[in-house]
Amino acid sequence: MTEEKINYIDIVTKGIWRENPVAYQVLGICSSLAVTVKMSTAIVMGIALTVVTACSSMLISSMRKVIPSNIRIIAELAIIASLVIATDQILKAFFYDISKQLSIFVGLIITNCIVMGRAEAFALANKPLDSFFDGIGNGLGYTLILVIVAFMRELLGSGKFFGLTVIPQFVFDAGYQNMGLMVLAPGAFFIIGLLVWLKNSLPGISKEER
Amino acid sequence: MSDKETKPGKTKVIRFALLLSVVCSLIITASAVGLKELQEANMALDKRVNILKAVGLIKNKKPSKKDINALYEAHIKEAMVDSQGKVIETYAPDSLNLYFYQDQGRIKGYILPINTRGLWGKIQGYLAFENDGQTVSGFSVFSHSETPGLGGEIESAWFQKNFKGKKILNSQDKFVSVGIAKGKAENLPKDLQSHYVDGISGATLTGKYLSEGIKETLMKYDSVSISFRQKGLKPQ
Repeated sequence: MTEEKINYIDIVTKGIWRENPVAYQVLGICSSLAVTVKMSTAIVMGIALTVVTACSSMLISSMRKVIPSNIRIIAELAIIASLVIATDQILKAFFYDISKQLSIFVGLIITNCIVMGRAEAFALANKPLDSFFDGIGNGLGYTLILVIVAFMRELLGSGKFFGLTVIPQFVFDAGYQNMGLMVLAPGAFFIIGLLVWLKNSLPGISKEER
Repeated sequence: MSDKETKPGKTKVIRFALLLSVVCSLIITASAVGLKELQEANMALDKRVNILKAVGLIKNKKPSKKDINALYEAHIKEAMVDSQGKVIETYAPDSLNLYFYQDQGRIKGYILPINTRGLWGKIQGYLAFENDGQTVSGFSVFSHSETPGLGGEIESAWFQKNFKGKKILNSQDKFVSVGIAKGKAENLPKDLQSHYVDGISGATLTGKYLSEGIKETLMKYDSVSISFRQKGLKPQ
């Protein structure tokens, strides 16, 4: 029992840091460019993706023995898309305000390659519960990068933190300006690039992996 | 034949694919059709909320469902006008929908539905005017599919509150519409500032489409605004 617990913790930490989906596997870059202008959208997207990856990985893993290998990708996609759309419909009926905030993310979640990537790389070869925790770990790892990028972009691009202005007026009066580049997608590219570099130069992964 | 053992048979694959598509479509259809009534009720309520928001009766906190309906019934009247801007009772093919904002029997303004294209999909919302027929009193959006954080900012309070007090007529009383500036409105020439609101950085196209859509709608409803400017329109 305890061994299993350690195993789950290991799977989760692997996703968050050692094999981080954005910084190590370089997955999900497109959506990290789109939703990291503000902290609040980054967090909503991170949580939603974590839930979707965990649930879809578990579902696909429990069906891994019946999915024929030559049509597995399209089958995975069908399962993931149905899961997300059905969830969105339920939210629309019972939690309309949450759904309104999330529904614009739905397209970004279905097409996020982390969901497919983890289904392919992990869920097809592992037990359902392991896959569930793998999804949680990867989702949290994605959230971590999103939040770091959004923090930098919101602070440098609009001088705000969670929508509150944090850079005082006298700094602007002294000639400081918001960095327009940070609001645009290229700004996110620079920050993600720097993060990948930082992550891979820190200890924590073996020589061969580097 | 080792090849046959590792690869599943064709009929098996096809059977699986068929079964999966039927199950998936059943799940989606069931959730979409079964929950339709609840969803539509939510959407109708949300429209009312946004109409009330456009005239400034709902500020930040959302009241309960009962309060929303009570507010709506007390202050908003749905109406149709013909192409000359006269209120009509029966449906005509060229009639236009709009809402009147009433307070104690007096018409304080009118609300036009905005329905335009955005960058990724339709943008739907409301633009409210005061009863002088030229001053914008508010703007709200109830449905869009713009990128969150960029074009999606059209639904945020800081963007919408800038519409309040803008004019659709210039100092010579000529129609110019209201639009979304590229960048801050204060950087524009003085005579344009009262027709433009601050733009959203990183969402130039969303702003462009929304400006065009607003202008189109205003031109369509021009007769309504004119009759308001002349004498004030009566819903009865």
